[in-house]
Amino acid sequence: MDAILDSIFPLSPQFFVGALTAVVMVHLILGTIPLLIYFERKISAYIQDRMGPNRVGFDLGLPVLQKLFRGFGFWGLGQSLADGLKFILKEDYMPKGADRALFTLAPALAVVPAFIGWAIIPWGGEFLLPTIEFFGREWVSGGYASVMVADINVGFIYLLAIASLGIYGITLGGWASNNKYSFLGGLRASAGMISYEIPMGMTILATLLLVGSFAPSVIVEDQVRNGWFILAQPIAAVVFFACILAEANRAPFDNAEAEQELVGGYHTEYSAMRFALFFLAEYAHMMTSSAFFTLLFLGGYHVPFIELTSPEATGFLAVFVKINVFFIKVVGLVCFMMVIRWTVPRIRYDQVLKLCWSSLIPLSLVLVVATSIMLKLGATEWWQMALMNLVLLIALVPTATLLFNSKTVNKKLPMAGSRFSPLREQDVSTAPVSRTALDDDNPFNKAARPV
Amino acid sequence: MTPLTPLMPGSLATVSLEDYGPILILLAMAVTFAVANIVLSLIIGPRRDGKVKELAYESGMNPIGTARKRFNVRFYLIAVTFLVFDVEVIFLYPWAITYANVDPASPEATLFLFRVLFFMLTTVIAYVYGYRKGVFRFD
Repeated sequence: MDAILDSIFPLSPQFFVGALTAVVMVHLILGTIPLLIYFERKISAYIQDRMGPNRVGFDLGLPVLQKLFRGFGFWGLGQSLADGLKFILKEDYMPKGADRALFTLAPALAVVPAFIGWAIIPWGGEFLLPTIEFFGREWVSGGYASVMVADINVGFIYLLAIASLGIYGITLGGWASNNKYSFLGGLRASAGMISYEIPMGMTILATLLLVGSFAPSVIVEDQVRNGWFILAQPIAAVVFFACILAEANRAPFDNAEAEQELVGGYHTEYSAMRFALFFLAEYAHMMTSSAFFTLLFLGGYHVPFIELTSPEATGFLAVFVKINVFFIKVVGLVCFMMVIRWTVPRIRYDQVLKLCWSSLIPLSLVLVVATSIMLKLGATEWWQMALMNLVLLIALVPTATLLFNSKTVNKKLPMAGSRFSPLREQDVSTAPVSRTALDDDNPFNKAARPV
Repeated sequence: MTPLTPLMPGSLATVSLEDYGPILILLAMAVTFAVANIVLSLIIGPRRDGKVKELAYESGMNPIGTARKRFNVRFYLIAVTFLVFDVEVIFLYPWAITYANVDPASPEATLFLFRVLFFMLTTVIAYVYGYRKGVFRFD
């Protein structure tokens, strides 16, 4: 027995901290998602001049709790909890002709990548772990450890690889439903997501050229020294943000679930917890990509002029403050995504793909080339990079309008038999024929007619 | 020319499988969460069947035929074009890390830069070809 324990313990500090971070952060993120759904409802309500949820508290309909809370509504915070509980109690239905295995597998495939993607996010920087020993045995040896799930040197490659896996769940969910709308939604989602992966990869490349490492902890430390990369690479930041919106299937790129065209898109046929998993996956994906953006462009856990958030601070308090700072940045970005969703109209599907293939990809490619030339010239200060971005932007706008000028965007396909293109010898009259409608003295008609 | 020195400091020396251990814990938690939720609602939820209920919901119309039909070939074109660019981006990652660690004044830096510019040129040619062929016209 002792021999076996001796072979396992003491654990390395990185393994212990990593496992601890995994357990804590999974619960933290799972607990934040209902709160984010509540935020989304409140934000949409305020944008549309409504109140939003403000009644449902935590009494769960139990008389004891109702008496205890005296009808206090907790500002509607219980709404998401009630929704979640309701999802478990609803019927999980599968339509006829659906692929049984894939229909069940798809939500799991959507939610798992969204939950393991953030394994390389450095939530709290370095932590000096004291040696943990009790019962006369050293269980965990002390030392420095990064407060992240896995401190691996190929961090960004891992994140990109996992983020792409989310497509499978959505595409398979759409295909397995045996519903034409779902199928089209799945197709649209897969085409959109793989398209936006390319500019995303290239903007990351343009930023990583400034660091020279894939390791997330090194990227944050570099930003602490040289200024946040949103200052050095503003174009990359904007393109990257557009890409994570498209990757998370959020408005204005959420054509996969465009209600007017495709009912609910890939999750039309889903109900109960399988639907909830898709919903959860979307929010988890938003959080993961926002953390990604924070790590790459907003300096991770760093806040300027606060000593506790510098990489040198390794105490317990410092780690606590850093995790909070990181989380506040992430939630702020997610709320920004929500504001975008409720203010920017959805872009038409062909325009979404066109935006990617004929503007974002050439733009990010030019950005990579320009950044590498700047590196060759030895000009890597943030203001030199920002200047390069500005020059690039001014030079590219006239070039792009010359290069990609297509005039046949809104061509209308004739739909034979409709009132705009009637069949031969078919009389299509759109004028009102009833006498009531044509009566000018009718007060209702007067009211309806514009002055 | 002098042989290239290892440019990614400590990259191979620090690789150990133990670093990936916590990811497995995370993966196990995520899979458990997903499976438990699906199974839970399958057990707890009610079960009622019906002739009309089992139809796919297509805006209230009776579904005509199956949904697994042929679809627009443009989706294939996007996938194939994506492959070209994605492979390029993946090749560029190791280059970017190496290039960023080279002394910019050295002749190796110039060599690295022009090599990759040539590499990108091949992709640009592919892009222009695709553009002229109308791969990127989605309307």
